[in-house]
Amino acid sequence: MRYTLQRVGQFVIVFVIVTFVVMVATRIGSKDVARDLAGGAVSDALIERVNNDYPYLDKPLVVQYGYWLKDMVTGNMGTSYAQSQDVVDMFKQRLPVTFFVGFWAIFIGLLIAVPLGVYSAYRRDGWVDRVSSYISFAFISTPPLVFAVFLIYFVALRLDVFPVLSDYVAPWDNPVEHAKNFFLPALSLGMGLAAIWTRFLRADMIITLQSDFIMLARAKGMSPSRILWRHALRASVLSLVTSVALQVSSLVGGAVIAEQFFGLAGIGTRLVFAVQANDILVIQAVTAVLVVTVVAVNLLVDLLYAVIDPRIRHARVFA
Amino acid sequence: MSTTATSSTLDAAEPSAAMSASPQKGSRKRWHPTTIFASIWLGALTILAILADYLPFIRGYQERVKGASRFQFGPGTDFLFGSDQLGRDMFARCIYGAQISLRVAASSILLGLLIGGTMGLAAGYLRGWFDRVISIFVDVLLAFPALIISILIVGRFDVLSASSSTFSWLTRTWSITFVLGLLSIAPIARIVRAQTLSLSQREFVLAARSLGAKNSRVIFREILPNLVPAMTSVVFTGIAVLLVAEGGLAFLGYSVKPPSPSWGLLVSENRERIQEAWWATIFPCIMLFLTVLSFNMIGDRVARRFDIREAAL
Repeated sequence: MRYTLQRVGQFVIVFVIVTFVVMVATRIGSKDVARDLAGGAVSDALIERVNNDYPYLDKPLVVQYGYWLKDMVTGNMGTSYAQSQDVVDMFKQRLPVTFFVGFWAIFIGLLIAVPLGVYSAYRRDGWVDRVSSYISFAFISTPPLVFAVFLIYFVALRLDVFPVLSDYVAPWDNPVEHAKNFFLPALSLGMGLAAIWTRFLRADMIITLQSDFIMLARAKGMSPSRILWRHALRASVLSLVTSVALQVSSLVGGAVIAEQFFGLAGIGTRLVFAVQANDILVIQAVTAVLVVTVVAVNLLVDLLYAVIDPRIRHARVFA
Repeated sequence: MSTTATSSTLDAAEPSAAMSASPQKGSRKRWHPTTIFASIWLGALTILAILADYLPFIRGYQERVKGASRFQFGPGTDFLFGSDQLGRDMFARCIYGAQISLRVAASSILLGLLIGGTMGLAAGYLRGWFDRVISIFVDVLLAFPALIISILIVGRFDVLSASSSTFSWLTRTWSITFVLGLLSIAPIARIVRAQTLSLSQREFVLAARSLGAKNSRVIFREILPNLVPAMTSVVFTGIAVLLVAEGGLAFLGYSVKPPSPSWGLLVSENRERIQEAWWATIFPCIMLFLTVLSFNMIGDRVARRFDIREAAL
């Protein structure tokens, strides 16, 4: 209980500091906040309307932040006047795109990393291990941007399967088209993740395989595949899981680039546009959602630890 | 802090994030083949980048060669990397791009090292409330969404420098260096703090103290020299990370402005025409990849040689 309270307290502090600093940053060099909100060169009537909707813009920053926070908590993210769109609607429209890019990237990353990491550790210094370790070193050093260029040039332009510019198709509407449109963007992010995670899993797995309970299982005559997948893997995924959580926030950066590159209309493309136009409410809302997501994923991972590894479950109970 | 709990476990579990196929084999040899490759590549690139203005075979990065426009020339003896839309030499643009990208990455890592290093050293050596304050500060910094903060600050600094003459010196090069430096403070501070904490427990520090050495002497003569290997590795891997970041920001249009070439900017300028002129997009990508790879290789070698665990930035 105390632990939970502590976590919630820390979250609130981080959330407030981050969103406040971002709000202050949006005001750097800005002469007329109402005009920025209204979308730059617009009629006086619209600015009048903005001033009507947000009567507190001449108050100190802290007060403005308080009003914003109140709106935020009650689920009102404000309006993007530049796009004449409610920010909540913007999220409804674009969040699925960004979500699926990130989700499939993580999926691809794990799909490659788990078997490869397990096998590399099992046949340590074998040829699979060697090759995969060189390739993963190269992949870690490959920026998503470079992956994207190579995927476009060597895959999208050569094969007729994948579009050069992707579109959002919901998986429940048309799974095949969805896969076609999201495969390349997700792959451009997923390969780097796969490389990092293979290393993590291999390292942990090697340590696990040397432990006594594995020797016992072997002595009992348990089959290698059962030992690897049922017993060793479970005890070795902690740093992998941690890394998945840690990568979520940097994945957002990659997703912005992937969206921009493959022409997906997600949060990222919109964010870049919002910064150009200083569409303050959009920037603040995206920041807030991102911070909450990162915290939520971290919390989820904490819970997951206990599910995956009984040793942690017990340690917590007895601590 | 949510990120603290998770990332400290990560630090602990990271011994083999230091990377290679055969851990024991290469360490006794003086020069690992990858180090040789990386040093040659980086050395050549740095020399070309520094001397770009004086070398006869490198054209100006803005020079438009007559008859070479519309991607007229592919890679060949005349134009090593081909020509671009406006008839500019891609090789020259890649080299000048190296100049810009390397300068930005190196100066930001120095900025990060100066501020983050001081903070980490002070926190790790003094401990107590000072350590706690710095640690909280670092955790908060780490919680910032890096991409949002960077494009936001670069974008706002543009407005600032355009609107007031006091800040007219604040060009894109300055803002991008500032932003990347800011982002590298927290990870560096964390690594230096951890290293200092463990170093200050060692016998030689105890010996120096019992001989009556002052704090400043212990820090500068005992601890700082021992931080050098870790810092070297951090600088190399850090530059690699920052090069990737700079490339991404440049691609999004938030690094140096055209006509200045930066690798990410070259990609975004030419990628629409990749089908007819692959060279204008692929070569900057290869340059970026090989440079990041080389920095990572050297960083990794140094880390492994001195057995530094927290080296992965």
